[in-house]
Amino acid sequence: MNTSPTQSQAYKPAPIPGRFAFEPMPEGASPPLVIEALLKYPGRIIHELQNNWRAALPLWLLSLALLGMLAYGVVVGSFSGGTQLWIAPAKIAMGTTLSILICLPSLYIFTCLSGIDAQMRTVTGMLFAAVGLGALLLIGFAPIAWIFSQSTDSVAFMAALHIGLWAIGIMFGLRLLEGMGHLLGGSARNHLKLWSVIFIVVSLQMMTTLRPIVGTSDRFLPTEKKFFLTHWAETLRMSQQKNDR
Amino acid sequence: MIGRLKLLLRGDADRVAESVSRVGFESVAQFSLIILIGAGLYGATLGLWRGPLQAFYTAIKFPLVIFLICLGNGAINGMLAQILGSELSFRQTAVAILMSFAIAAIILAGFAPLTLFVWFNAPPLESKDAILGHSIMLLTHVFIIALAGVIANRRLLGLLRKMSGSDKVARAVLFSWLAGNLFLGAQIAWNLRPFIGSPRLAIEFLRSDPLRGNFYEAVWRALRHLFF
Repeated sequence: MNTSPTQSQAYKPAPIPGRFAFEPMPEGASPPLVIEALLKYPGRIIHELQNNWRAALPLWLLSLALLGMLAYGVVVGSFSGGTQLWIAPAKIAMGTTLSILICLPSLYIFTCLSGIDAQMRTVTGMLFAAVGLGALLLIGFAPIAWIFSQSTDSVAFMAALHIGLWAIGIMFGLRLLEGMGHLLGGSARNHLKLWSVIFIVVSLQMMTTLRPIVGTSDRFLPTEKKFFLTHWAETLRMSQQKNDR
Repeated sequence: MIGRLKLLLRGDADRVAESVSRVGFESVAQFSLIILIGAGLYGATLGLWRGPLQAFYTAIKFPLVIFLICLGNGAINGMLAQILGSELSFRQTAVAILMSFAIAAIILAGFAPLTLFVWFNAPPLESKDAILGHSIMLLTHVFIIALAGVIANRRLLGLLRKMSGSDKVARAVLFSWLAGNLFLGAQIAWNLRPFIGSPRLAIEFLRSDPLRGNFYEAVWRALRHLFF
């Protein structure tokens, strides 16, 4: 199913103008270059992962994703304070890692279904890049989230805000996968769109499985199993009852 | 300085783009000074109806809101500009946004005599129509601030078009900046309330519980009371 290295190196898609220009990164992978490429020239990341694979780049991308999630997690934990200051970042980083692990096989399959000529390591790197970009944006959103977390005592509001900001971040991240499909000759785009929905649902359920992240609890993990929509509805109902009182 | 003010108001995209591209401490200092003076002056007229002390407080708080928005959204605005393909650096983004706020501040300063005239004619705090006076001042300021915001953002759109070379990219970047700045700005303004000053409450720099509650919850509660 995988292409041979010679095939990969020989593969040159038609150049796309703008930020998705398929070109090499100037001087290998260093954190500032990786961040710049993620924001401005994602085509370079795709090029390196496909044609010039080195372990350093995916490792930087994964580190960026996890460090970003940890940093944003501290802001999430600042709502409740106390032990949540380390529990929230730990759970968010753990949830992100588990979501990546759960969804990676299906991403590779959907990539193949889309007609994309990519190896497993390229797909893995792209998923790290997508989550890394989302995490980077969450760091940018952190001051906004912090101001709100200090100004409200509503768990429902803060949870909705964090989900909204995460959704914006991951939306831009998942656009990278579409870019990959475009650059690597994908013919059917709907497969990757469908996978994006799967990844979002898995991530939302993961955060429900690892609850509480915004609020507090005596236990590290819940004993009761719940679907995320049920959990949201219950949180909203409790918040409304609190307001009515 | 006067030359810079004229340049900003005329919206000569070529020259403004050139000055934003050559980002330096001088530009940042000049725009900040314009915001400090322009928004401060207008802020004073905003609080004057409640009393001179409120005018003084609002003159400090109004520019403070602008600077806190720029600070809080600086990183995300820079990231969004790059992701959406504008080719603007973080520093250029910060200066472009500061510039649009500076334009708004100049326009607001220009309206200060007009709002003073409205204040002069509005029913004063001591009269039986104080609530009417408060409402007139509130609506006048909302209208003028919105007008200044619209004009400043049209200038910013022109600059973004020039710098990105694409109308689609410029609109996307402007929309993302506006959404973020309005979202955070509403909350910061809520935290730093009062600006006009309620006729029934004492004059204060900040309310006794500035970090209690948020703008959007208050709007939601008001809507629920209104409709349910």
